[in-house]
Amino acid sequence: MYDAHILTDVGCRNIWEHGKKVGYCVNLTINYYRGLPLCCVDEIFLEVDGEPVDPAAIVLQHQGREYAYLDILKDTFPADFYWLFGEMLRVVVRKEGGIEQGRHPVKLRLATRRSYTPTMVSECTKTLTFA
Amino acid sequence: MKTNHEIKLGVSLYSYQDTYYFHKQDLEGCLAAAAGAGAEGVEVFPEAMMPEWPYISDAFVDKWNGWMERYDLVPVCVDHFSDRRMWKNRNLSDDELVERGIWYIKTAAKLGCQSIRLLHEEHIGRNTIKRDYLLTDVKIAERLLPVAAEHNIMMALECHAPTSIDDPVHQIYMETAERLGLPFVGLQVDFSSYEYCMSTADVGMFTRQGAHAEILNIVREKQREAYFADRDFEYAEIKEQIEKIGLNDVDKNALRRVPGHKRPHSLLKLKELASQVVYVHGKFYDLDADGQVDNIDYPRVFKALQDGGYKGYICSEFEGNRRMNDAGWVDEIEYVRKHHILMRKCLGYD
Repeated sequence: MYDAHILTDVGCRNIWEHGKKVGYCVNLTINYYRGLPLCCVDEIFLEVDGEPVDPAAIVLQHQGREYAYLDILKDTFPADFYWLFGEMLRVVVRKEGGIEQGRHPVKLRLATRRSYTPTMVSECTKTLTFA
Repeated sequence: MKTNHEIKLGVSLYSYQDTYYFHKQDLEGCLAAAAGAGAEGVEVFPEAMMPEWPYISDAFVDKWNGWMERYDLVPVCVDHFSDRRMWKNRNLSDDELVERGIWYIKTAAKLGCQSIRLLHEEHIGRNTIKRDYLLTDVKIAERLLPVAAEHNIMMALECHAPTSIDDPVHQIYMETAERLGLPFVGLQVDFSSYEYCMSTADVGMFTRQGAHAEILNIVREKQREAYFADRDFEYAEIKEQIEKIGLNDVDKNALRRVPGHKRPHSLLKLKELASQVVYVHGKFYDLDADGQVDNIDYPRVFKALQDGGYKGYICSEFEGNRRMNDAGWVDEIEYVRKHHILMRKCLGYD
């Protein structure tokens, strides 16, 4: 459906704090025909430069709030925070030194649980330019 | 555009999903597109196009009502979902699923809709997809009925292929409503039940995935022949011919339901039940050069609804987008516009 579009080329860049790179980010859009509660995300798996990203290093920024990726997978997470249809979800990877500016191959696997069909697993690979 | 027709036409905004997802139009733009196609009603997925969902504010309702006035549209239906598998480590309890069901009913009432499309457990029949959890089954629906009654919202049971409105699995909901004296659940037709052959949209999609176009077109032709000769499609008649070409995995996936699909559901039954139907999804995937839906017999389906005394909305539900957008931009606005021309023609409105 939207597999080729879930990994966007918008806003890929390093995250800086006090003049130092502390991570980098990409923006995702949903792989379904409607928005879903964030806790219906079954998996966000990233591979950058051929290396899998540690899930514990992933932070999601959504509508002005920030959540540890691993926290949205737990039933303590609210069920009414919606990742909207067509809305970008910013995925930040915490990494000292960030990512070297320039082009990097990125692979994304995004799995979402929905009402009546099995968990939808979508994959998208792109070479993205990080600012 | 308001009419005094007994069968009224509308658009499910689902039809404009790519238009919205890729930010070509916002919600108001989608409403303008529906109105421009000549629609009288609209069906909406609040979860897709209303960012305030599930807490729709009065300020938004004011804006919504303003749009309904500006574009001369009637809000018809809100789409309900049953997101039972809420967390990775836990499913929603029955109480939690009921609570979310109430969100949809209240939202529909707030937006001025007359119904919700209830995503009930049997909406694609029993055992079509194996699940270890239940959607909104009759137990949950029974608990929603008093709320639907309080808000005067009809819960429409979408009967989608491979099932249809005459499948007895849906009757238990109406029996429950009758037992409680709360007639707020009814049958919803989805035209997918009346597909007589594989759509050209599917042929294109599977071919791009690596299927043999030749095989899919042989199947499609034989299905069409059988339908128009008013007989069952027999897969056995072409099995040898297509196996000689050599079936790959994509072909097998494309054809997985073909041998069991001998003919569409009965239009006679559709006519018999039409007066009990509360809502209709005018499903389509592709249109041919004559402006006809390429795999559903619209003239006969519409005649069955009309002759059977259906009163209510038929909303365009364009599903070709997700089958064709891998090949490039799908002009949903144009598809819906042509679809409305076809529907008006079938009903004798032009």
